[in-house]
Amino acid sequence: MQELVLVPPGRTVGDELEREAAQADKRREFEQRLAECGPLAYRVARGVLRNTADAEDVAQEALLRAYRKFDRLRDRNRFRAWLVRIAFRLALDRLRSGKRRELRDTLWSQPERQPPAANAEDLAVSNEFQAHLESALAELPEKLRLVLLLAAMEGHTIDEIAAMTGVSAGTVKSRIFYARRQLAEKLRCHASFIKTR
Amino acid sequence: MPCKLYKNALIEAAASSAEPQADLRAHLDACAACRAAFEQEQSLFASIDAGLHVTANSEVPASLLPRVRARLDEEANSKRRWTANWFTLASAALVVVAFFGARAVWHTNFAEKPVETTGTTSVPPRVTPPPQQQNPLVVPPVGKNSVSQRQPAIAKNALAAETLVNGKTMPEVLVPRDQEVLLAEYAEQWRFHKRTPLLAQDSDATILAPLQVAQIQIAELDVKPLAEEK
Repeated sequence: MQELVLVPPGRTVGDELEREAAQADKRREFEQRLAECGPLAYRVARGVLRNTADAEDVAQEALLRAYRKFDRLRDRNRFRAWLVRIAFRLALDRLRSGKRRELRDTLWSQPERQPPAANAEDLAVSNEFQAHLESALAELPEKLRLVLLLAAMEGHTIDEIAAMTGVSAGTVKSRIFYARRQLAEKLRCHASFIKTR
Repeated sequence: MPCKLYKNALIEAAASSAEPQADLRAHLDACAACRAAFEQEQSLFASIDAGLHVTANSEVPASLLPRVRARLDEEANSKRRWTANWFTLASAALVVVAFFGARAVWHTNFAEKPVETTGTTSVPPRVTPPPQQQNPLVVPPVGKNSVSQRQPAIAKNALAAETLVNGKTMPEVLVPRDQEVLLAEYAEQWRFHKRTPLLAQDSDATILAPLQVAQIQIAELDVKPLAEEK
């Protein structure tokens, strides 16, 4: 079925076709990055929100925002860092808004994916420790939390994290160190849950 | 319990995931409590790293990317629709504005045209007849109700309304043709009656003789006695 296009007065059909072509190019270029960076946006949001549904919503919103402002991004190589910052900021906003808090609390103690446990006792211990860990992670300062999450994600080197966060590699190392120490301080009282792995 | 001297050192060594320095290494070899504490710290950090790995590498829902693509399509379509609607609305608004603008201009010209003609030097100034000759109540018969005749009529009405406010003349009244003379007579009487006090004030007081009233004569009453009752 042929699509009819309303050409507004003052514009020629050529202008309209040119604009459509530019939109198609933009969409194609964005699609290439979408498959690569979509999971990253989701994981950043998931690390902040600790909830699958909220993280998916936030990742979707972050990707849409990135698409809307894609023309403004001069250096397309910085797309990953740009998207991470958008997703992290949106996730923090969502966390602060307190929406869906009840749903999040119910799902909080039920992480979707657990490492394989040997038996029911190990599973219970692992779940409980994971819950405490995520709670302690949420209490970390934003800068430390983002760097720690990015460092924990597969395939991110210190230099990549430095490029994504816009700080030096030394600062990234320092933040990771302090973040881990703060987590250990908070979790040391739960050391009884830890079994030697 | 680890030794106080080495407590911070062994925690930092465990946190950095680096090999302990030589003096700490030597102490750990010698002190079983510190060695146990160090192993505990290493276990704690290993658990933290494992937990972070789970949190940070959670499985991405399969619906994420299709949903994003659907939203992108929807947004592109809605933008196209919005653009089309915007131009439609803008065109409609333009037509409405043009209509009201033309109407306003037409009304302005309609009202101002007689004023412009009286203001020009080519038209002689309006001569107001004296009050005796003036007969504003009589409306000239209107023939065909054409546009060219309506414009001066409206202007005349506006002038009449203005003079009425100033009190200089009488209002115009529309009457049936057969009652025209009757109304004119009535108006003359009414005007004469109204101007009488003014004429009295304007007249010379010496011409008029003072009012003389004849004395009242009262005749003597002839009272008859009542007849006697029978």
